[in-house]
Amino acid sequence: MARSLALLLALTAACSSRPSSGRLSITDDWGRTVALASPAQRIVSLSPSSTEILFAIGAGPRLVGRTAYCDWPLAARAVPSVGNGIEPSVEAVAARRPDLVVLYASAANRAAAGGLAALGIPVAVLKLDLGADVVRAARRLAALTGEEPAADSLVAAFDSSLGAVHARAAALPGRAPLLYVDVWASPPMTVGRGSYLSQLLEAAGAANAFGDLGASAATVSLEAVAARDPDAVLVIAADTLQPPDLAARPGWSAVRAVREGRVLVVDASLYGRPGPRMPLAAADLARRIAPLRWRSGR
Amino acid sequence: MRRPSAPAFLAGLAVAALAALALGLALGAAPLAPGALLAALGGRGDPTAVAILWSLRAPRVALGFVVGGVLAVAGAGLQALVRNPLADPYLLGLSGGAGLGAVLAIAAGVASAWALPAAAFAGALLAVAVVYRLGLVAGGGLDSRVLLLAGVVVGAFAGALLAGVLAVSEAAQVRTATLWLMGSLGGVAWPGVLALAAYSAPAVAVLLAEARNLNLLALGEEPAQHLGADVARTKRRVYVAASLLAAASVAAAGMIGFVGLVVPHAVRLVRGHDHRFLLPASFVLGGTFLVVADTVARTLFAPLELPVGVVTAVVGVPIFAVLLKRWTSR
Repeated sequence: MARSLALLLALTAACSSRPSSGRLSITDDWGRTVALASPAQRIVSLSPSSTEILFAIGAGPRLVGRTAYCDWPLAARAVPSVGNGIEPSVEAVAARRPDLVVLYASAANRAAAGGLAALGIPVAVLKLDLGADVVRAARRLAALTGEEPAADSLVAAFDSSLGAVHARAAALPGRAPLLYVDVWASPPMTVGRGSYLSQLLEAAGAANAFGDLGASAATVSLEAVAARDPDAVLVIAADTLQPPDLAARPGWSAVRAVREGRVLVVDASLYGRPGPRMPLAAADLARRIAPLRWRSGR
Repeated sequence: MRRPSAPAFLAGLAVAALAALALGLALGAAPLAPGALLAALGGRGDPTAVAILWSLRAPRVALGFVVGGVLAVAGAGLQALVRNPLADPYLLGLSGGAGLGAVLAIAAGVASAWALPAAAFAGALLAVAVVYRLGLVAGGGLDSRVLLLAGVVVGAFAGALLAGVLAVSEAAQVRTATLWLMGSLGGVAWPGVLALAAYSAPAVAVLLAEARNLNLLALGEEPAQHLGADVARTKRRVYVAASLLAAASVAAAGMIGFVGLVVPHAVRLVRGHDHRFLLPASFVLGGTFLVVADTVARTLFAPLELPVGVVTAVVGVPIFAVLLKRWTSR
């Protein structure tokens, strides 16, 4: 009786997630079907974003491999690194004996996906480029790890926090501050409207000085930066303890925001990747740019 | 087709150079109306327009002229030295050395506005020194064939080390290195332009002083010796001066292809091989060409910016093909 009850419960659980096959199955961002007989127990995550998501849905303790760039949460640093997430070493990944590999959807990863598949290792390829990708990836990673309830609450908190930040910013007086996003100094590289950072700016109630560009990343003329006269320069820095001195860069004093010292240096780990911390980054940015709002009517 | 007379050619060059400089100042990613442009030239009007004109466009145009001129003169000198039309300023191991120096500086985390050019310059000089030393193995006369081989070999060695460093360093570092190596005139302010100009002047003067001997050298080493040229000394001087020029231009603007290869040939095709004319004319034409190419790079897809090396090749190849056809089919 007890045994048949357990069987019934197991069946019910299986039916509630995947009624057709009785297995855990998703379609990844390359349109491949990824099916597991049971929730993944040994996961190698090959992008910093997917690592953050896995920890956020409670699957972090099951990580057995990560990239050299997976630096958040702090517990991720205790997981062994397998090196690069783009063109990863198939051998190093396989040596971790994973039952699930989460690969970033980059054309450069085709060979690695094929190599891992040939070894019989399940691979889920996830696109993690924009804010909306975080929610979609969290849902599918939850299906593969059996953490659906945690993912439900993550997604709900993600959406409501982002909405709250945006609503607060929109309620402030004055116009949205115009920011130049400094991704690289020389040649000057910034982001266009199709980028995660542009989305982050919008969520925080700011406008991207090069939001008219379609490309997600673009090399622009310094004089175009000066002519667009942003309210502030947002520097995405790997090391915020040693912030770059923009006034010392040749020619940059032509930009009024640099001359007048309106430079915001932010942490690339928090700002530079789509992940569960996007609402946190947006709230941080909204707080930093609030003083710029009085600069209206110029 | 008849060759233009020297005065006519020089006058044409001067007009073209002035037009290029004016064009470079007038055009850019930020559209400035003629009135605002004139006001900014006089330092009046909107402070942002003044800053765009005087701290961005003017140093960039000046840098373009000096780098283009220096590359063309160095190319002309090296082509005469090794008597090979394919010689360009980067041929003799210089590009590999400069690239390796820059990448090592980036990997060591010292990629500031000044450290990067300094490291590239040091790397280029090291490569030049090794090639020079190898070139002397066949005696004090710097055998052209040995020099070419040594240049290619040292370049390959540095290139391999560079690829190795790139392979094991972080993604952001790789991006900096590759972007920087592609060449850009955007990263230098007035002090850098003046430093390059002051540094280049003596090396250009050395090349100009050797013009007569380079004419003799074109006849062959033995005839040149018989006609009174100190061939070994001329070759050493030309090699060192041209390499120092190329190294400095790489340090200031990264690697900008095509100018040093094609501009001297263009002058030769139109005006012949006299180095007393070829070297100064190459300087002016190289400077003009690079200023025009950079203006196109800055404005064609504004506010996006093209790598200037793309423009030098895309604009330069058709012009060169036309010249080749018109002046060799006489």
